[in-house]
Amino acid sequence: MTGKDHSSADDPALVRAAQRGDMAAFEELVVRHRDKIYARALSMVRNEEEAIDLSQEAWVKGWQRLPQFLGEASFGTWITRIVINLCLDHLRKQKRQRLQSIEAIDEDSGGVERQMPVVTVNPTAGLERAELRQRIDHALGHLSYEHRTVLVLHEFEQMEYKAIAKTMGCSIGTVMSRLFYARRKMAALLAGLRKQDLR
Amino acid sequence: MDYDAQLKLQACLDGELSPRRARRLQGRLAGDPEAQALLRELKATTGALAAFDQDLKLPESREFFWSKIEREIRRLPQPEPARAPASLLAGWRRWLTPAGALAAVLLAALLLGRPARAPQIESGLADSGALTYRDFAASATIVWLSYPAEDEFVADELSDTPD
Repeated sequence: MTGKDHSSADDPALVRAAQRGDMAAFEELVVRHRDKIYARALSMVRNEEEAIDLSQEAWVKGWQRLPQFLGEASFGTWITRIVINLCLDHLRKQKRQRLQSIEAIDEDSGGVERQMPVVTVNPTAGLERAELRQRIDHALGHLSYEHRTVLVLHEFEQMEYKAIAKTMGCSIGTVMSRLFYARRKMAALLAGLRKQDLR
Repeated sequence: MDYDAQLKLQACLDGELSPRRARRLQGRLAGDPEAQALLRELKATTGALAAFDQDLKLPESREFFWSKIEREIRRLPQPEPARAPASLLAGWRRWLTPAGALAAVLLAALLLGRPARAPQIESGLADSGALTYRDFAASATIVWLSYPAEDEFVADELSDTPD
């Protein structure tokens, strides 16, 4: 397929060509999925430069691992899993280098989310998409990486509890409590509640 | 509403409960305004997050982003080209060549061989540690020299002992 126009080929055909060493086919796969891969990295690390670097690294790793891709999941899902794992490694390294966040301490002390008042109005109703994204991004930044990752994997990747637990190396119970905490905290942050209101 | 019930409510929303357990939970919480309010909040958060990813674009041009990836890929060590499996003939040839040479040498030795004469082992000077092996049939002489000679070992060991 080298030298051909790949834009009309479907993903499985592009993958097969790339597995034979056709870099133009792989470039077409990058073009198709780069925004999604970048968005996933950005939602997890919340830093534009790091998200670009990590998504680039994911594509290089994807090329290296192409011979192992058997087509059990779609190519998009497969390459997304690669970037998620890279982001998790990156975040774990970062965490080791700094003190635990306030959110993690909250979790350790236990039960903050149980005392949060329920947000009764939809705080995002009527917002423009750009403004909504900005508020969500800001709120995501207030979560520890463990809570943020569980939320991202569940809400954006539609992963089941069991798959999240496997990806993060924790129990299903931990996934459930982290997800509950993350959602409740997001609701409060999106509603503009102050930190002292949450206690 | 206790924490366990809250987590079950969330699991129900996420489709993680079996249909039977989900129905039972919904029936139990139907008349609970606190549970209903929490359910609405969880749904609203999920709905808000759905918009986050949409239309998010990589802030680099296609060419620039790809050029960085391509450069890294080209920098990777190239996998070794897979060797073509050896043909049956090539396999036989590998063994036949040395075997043929050995057979030729043996044949020549049989045809040209002289009456064999037993090999000899000689010791030269008794204290030098030298041994000579002579094989007349093969026209070969091998000399073993042990160095240092046995008596020198003794001298060395003695010189190391403290007075």
